[in-house]
Amino acid sequence: MNYLYKLFLIVFFYIPTSYFSQGFQVNLQGQKQQGMGGAGTAFMQDASSLFFNPGGACFVNENSINLGITPTIARGAYMDATTNQVSHTNSPVSTPFTAYALFQLKDSSNLKFGLAVYTPFGSTVQWEDNWTGRFALTRLELRAIFIQPTVSYKITKKIGIGAGFVYANGKVNLQKDIPLNDAYGNYAHAELNGKANGFGFNAGIYFQPIEKLSIGLTYRSKVNMEVKDGDATFTVPESVANNFPSGKFTSKLPLPSVTTLGLAYKINNKLDVALDINYVGWKAYDTLSFDYENNTEKLLDTKSARMYKNTFAFRGGAQYKINTNFTARLGLAYGITPVQNGYVTPETPDANRVNYTCGIGYQFGKHLKIDASFLFTHLERTDTNLETNLSGTFKTNVCAPGISIGYKF
Amino acid sequence: MKLYKTIFIITTAIVFAACTPKFNEPDLSTGSINASDYLAIGGSMTAGYSDGALYDEGQRNSYTNLLATQLRNLGVGATIFKIPYAQSSIGMGNANNARSILGNRTDCQNVVSLGPVKIASQGDITIFSNNVYNSQGPFHNFGVPDLKSIEIDINGYSNPFYQRMASSGTSSVLNDAISRNPTFFSVNLGLHDVLKYALKGGASDNITPVSGAIGVGFEASINNVIEKLTANGAKGVIANIPSIKSMAYFNTIAWNALKLDSLTAANLNLYYGALSAPFSFSVGNNGFIIQDTSQFLGFRQAQEDEFILLNVPLDSVKCYKWGSLIPIPDRYVLTASEINNIENAINDYNTVLKNIAETKGLAYVDVHSLFNKVKNGFIYNGVTINASFVSGGFYSLDGLNLTPRGNAFLANEFIKSINNKYQSTIPELDAMKYPGVIFP
Repeated sequence: MNYLYKLFLIVFFYIPTSYFSQGFQVNLQGQKQQGMGGAGTAFMQDASSLFFNPGGACFVNENSINLGITPTIARGAYMDATTNQVSHTNSPVSTPFTAYALFQLKDSSNLKFGLAVYTPFGSTVQWEDNWTGRFALTRLELRAIFIQPTVSYKITKKIGIGAGFVYANGKVNLQKDIPLNDAYGNYAHAELNGKANGFGFNAGIYFQPIEKLSIGLTYRSKVNMEVKDGDATFTVPESVANNFPSGKFTSKLPLPSVTTLGLAYKINNKLDVALDINYVGWKAYDTLSFDYENNTEKLLDTKSARMYKNTFAFRGGAQYKINTNFTARLGLAYGITPVQNGYVTPETPDANRVNYTCGIGYQFGKHLKIDASFLFTHLERTDTNLETNLSGTFKTNVCAPGISIGYKF
Repeated sequence: MKLYKTIFIITTAIVFAACTPKFNEPDLSTGSINASDYLAIGGSMTAGYSDGALYDEGQRNSYTNLLATQLRNLGVGATIFKIPYAQSSIGMGNANNARSILGNRTDCQNVVSLGPVKIASQGDITIFSNNVYNSQGPFHNFGVPDLKSIEIDINGYSNPFYQRMASSGTSSVLNDAISRNPTFFSVNLGLHDVLKYALKGGASDNITPVSGAIGVGFEASINNVIEKLTANGAKGVIANIPSIKSMAYFNTIAWNALKLDSLTAANLNLYYGALSAPFSFSVGNNGFIIQDTSQFLGFRQAQEDEFILLNVPLDSVKCYKWGSLIPIPDRYVLTASEINNIENAINDYNTVLKNIAETKGLAYVDVHSLFNKVKNGFIYNGVTINASFVSGGFYSLDGLNLTPRGNAFLANEFIKSINNKYQSTIPELDAMKYPGVIFP
């Protein structure tokens, strides 16, 4: 219990924020799947199926609880095209986490219930002081926790369906400098802080035409996160304080839908392979707007074009059972960026990416299983932003080691 | 627990280091520049005159010093770029005034507003009374406030901004500069050849003609400067001259800022109607009444594209009927024909400057285009930069010379031209690291 308590502390000590992955999407919802490049829509592993395919969760024949965390280290840097100056991010370690509980009313029943709590979107970017793009952004913290009660029903021995209602709760904190110099050589600063929530669903079908092959299709809906009554705080020289009254603001951020087709194939008793294709509805994110309650001549509502486009990601991996206790996993993913040329921002300096992943699992007796994974990815993008004219190259490295503990009964 | 914590911190540090993205060192090329003795010649902007005065912080942030710093960082510039510092934070302006800062001022109607106020009742007289050649010289920055092209070769030139840095009582700016034997130079001359006239509303002083002997005409005077600087094979960069139409000084007070209610408009119509004046007033904005001796009445109404200068006493306008019952005096107004003469001269100068740059194979900086770009406004790293007085970030509180940020933009134009001409890769400055107008 002491260790569980510590795990709990770690989760909440490092505020559950997440790194940007294809926009600000975070694909770290299960250690086993992470080891396999993120694929798992047609490959039912454990209670994490509640996220990966609610239609397949009924095929996981156990009552189980699964807790996981992936401390994510994302290090970004920017080199300005005209000055050659390099700025770094000092982003804190973020900790996307997962908690899944899956249970059935009686043994081998066709109906299963589950509760999933996870963090599929988020981003914490903290740029170093006085960096070149400080008037675009100095810090962005986005986080969203999804809570998803789920029902999964096995229609036949080969087909299962399932759906979960999603309640999303999150917060946003955005900061940037304002180009007004005070007598001490500092620039003025704006901080927008707000809580957001939204609703959605996660539904899926799982089909196993032959014993070796399974197919999954899921749809995770768009969730509109609305910020009402956010607090806008301006730190400006006294003589212009009237122009920047602190007050309320509203905003909204769409978290896009994800449609996934998954395939899994059992090559033999030891080796499984899986493939997922995601289609992400990023087109929903076309504008980032802030509506201030107290407008002045200098403080107008803002509308910034984001113009994201719908995009695909491909995730594939293999799992190999070394012996009854040990499992090894390897995976690869390729994600196409939703961010078009001219729209790359310091909040999500996104690019096409290859994720390299690996993982291991160890079974302790009948009930307990520990899985660990590691993900590395490198992003690089050179662009001139059409709104800010910020022109340079962003690079980001992401290292994400993760661990989960599963208990079945 | 302590051991765990240590292990955790060390592992995190290692992963952090391994995870940090790296950039290759940019390929910095010095091209064909040898700036081991870089020397700057010019007027107020070159000197770092700012906020209406010469003072240390302005001098430190002159585009010439910023350029010298970038050359030095590249390893081709001299380790020291010597500037005749005023050694004063009060400064000295050309009307014996102190520099301006932004502060609260109360007008004749008891309205308090933010605007330029002098930091002291008069300039720091030690700046003019001490010659600093022996203590600080010999210099690299031959930016002399108000220096005209036709004055640069005058022995014993009486401009007090030169007198304080002159090598002797009988030297000229040009001779002092040539004796430094520069390997690289920047020349930014010609603006004061029209500006002195413009700042007096065309009521006194003269526009330097293009033709005429050295010391009389612009072309011969500039050619003399460049011939002497390049005699030993030195390379350099020549700047052209911005349009006065782009400057905050001439654009802040609109020609038609005379705002009238119906009663005042009716009264003015009655008054001027009795004089048979060929104009009338209406509710809202009206052109100011300006002095114009070419008119039968000696005054007329200002027209679009005419300038009311920034130094017009605003209390006289607000409370004492200037611009309505009393014509605004000629020295505060540039009429369309005066502006035309100034702009024609600038265009002619720029043709001369471009020709000599091409003939001598020197880099040519299009400052004229930069200032027009600022006039139109542009976005730089998320910040709107424009020619608005106080808020635009480019012009200092004198409306003519630049803030440190404005100087950084100007230095970047020089850097681009030098890179282009001499195949060098001098990095530009992050202009937002340099302040605009300071707000209290």
